[in-house]
Amino acid sequence: MNPGAVRRSARDALRSGAFNVVLVVIGLVLLWTLVSALIPNPDRYLPSPASVALSSIDMLYKGLLPSFFGDTLARLVLGSLIGLAAGIPFGLLLAINRSVADMFYPLMNFFQSVSGIAIIPIVVIWFGNSDTTVLIVILYTSFFPIAFSVLAGVREIPIRYIHAARTLGATRYRVIRDVLVPGALPHIATGSRLSIGFAWRAVIAGEMLAGREGLGWMIFTAQDADLTAQVILGMILIGGTWIVLDHFLLRPFEADTIERWGMVQR
Amino acid sequence: MAAKLVVEGLSHVYPDEYTGQPVHALEDIDLEVADGELVAVVGPSGCGKSTLLNILAGLLPCRQGRVTVDGAPISGPGPDRGVVFQEHAILPWRTVARNIGHGLELRRVPRAVRARRVQEFVDLVGLAGFEDRYPHELSGGMKQRCAVARTLCADPAVMLMDEPFAAVDAQTRITLQEELNRIAMATRKTILFITHAVDEAAFLGDRCFVFSRRPGRLKATVPIDIPREKRVWKGLLSDPVFTAARDEILKLVREEVAIDEGTGVRGAS
Repeated sequence: MNPGAVRRSARDALRSGAFNVVLVVIGLVLLWTLVSALIPNPDRYLPSPASVALSSIDMLYKGLLPSFFGDTLARLVLGSLIGLAAGIPFGLLLAINRSVADMFYPLMNFFQSVSGIAIIPIVVIWFGNSDTTVLIVILYTSFFPIAFSVLAGVREIPIRYIHAARTLGATRYRVIRDVLVPGALPHIATGSRLSIGFAWRAVIAGEMLAGREGLGWMIFTAQDADLTAQVILGMILIGGTWIVLDHFLLRPFEADTIERWGMVQR
Repeated sequence: MAAKLVVEGLSHVYPDEYTGQPVHALEDIDLEVADGELVAVVGPSGCGKSTLLNILAGLLPCRQGRVTVDGAPISGPGPDRGVVFQEHAILPWRTVARNIGHGLELRRVPRAVRARRVQEFVDLVGLAGFEDRYPHELSGGMKQRCAVARTLCADPAVMLMDEPFAAVDAQTRITLQEELNRIAMATRKTILFITHAVDEAAFLGDRCFVFSRRPGRLKATVPIDIPREKRVWKGLLSDPVFTAARDEILKLVREEVAIDEGTGVRGAS
């Protein structure tokens, strides 16, 4: 099968799936409306979809929502870009140098298990409740998944590709440029998606615990102020943003990289 | 004719991956390949013929003995020795043309010159029209043609081929063998061709080196005096020179296999 056909059929499947997804969402919203109408004091416990929508219009009108949303998104982009920019070369370094890998691998495993949220207290001690703190948390969170992905990607490249390049006269640098990086690219794409996904969760957590604006901060303070509609609105925006980002940006990038070179076994 | 490739007193011992016991892959190999000659190397599996190729390619170190190309000792891989690997090793993320031109690109040959050279070899191996395809869009035979063109395009002094046609179907293999014969005729390359197929060795080789089972020694050299123009499968099968050479090689190889199976004595005839 040619790659174009594969991509088309995958898109068709998505489209027919999308219809069912809409049905499920409508069902959930109806259920939500129903429960909200049946419980006492819904404004405190579960405001109806209509009041959540109203609160979003109110916040839009005041300009708070775009500002919070923009802050959070900007942090995600900046933090994960730095994380990827640091993690990709580091993973590559580990992959091409056995002794560096042996040296750092246990440490990486250690830090990977200490989640982004767990480092927030110490970073707050160092940098206070600030943008810097949130950025460090995002960077830290996105660094490890991508570094591990690059490492795995390079290690999976068949040795004959490297031999072929070397017998054609490739220097060490050209082996990296012409074989290792492109060979690991599908893993780099997958790892980037993973990293950005983790980073997105880290932004929200970071803003809740150490931020002074952004979506995370918004839902955290809304809880204090008993603004349940705002809490729910924040959650919907967090999940919805990820769906849009993943569906229209990250997944197509990943699928294109993997499919173009026929790197998946079929 | 001058010797292009000279191997003197080459032995190779390496520790077994699991047991750590020394494995004697090659023992005291002496051989020469003349300029423009195509030499086939046959032997039972595990006879060290791939080890020999890897040492010649510079992918394995030469610890005991001496290996020279044009009089210069080998130290590591280099573009003077091109390799065609058993499994197609063309890069999946490069198009056919970019794969074939890779060696020239590494040597910083200007783009225009490169394009002309690439086209020449695309045509030589019959891949015209497929220049912009990726390897996964090609058949097994086409991938191997691309690999051969890539090696030739880098213009090595010696071309080393490691069972390059073992993984393609029988029909394609016959075509590829005839094509390689035509290419050998057209380019006058010095080629060392490793195979376990006796027919293939007799078809392609000006001479055939038969290796003994492990530890690999050069057991015999069988000359095959058939001009390249006459090497076409149709007709060759009834050529007495070909059949005699093939039977001789077959006999030599079978003696080695028989020893392995515990049913024969070395040099039984």
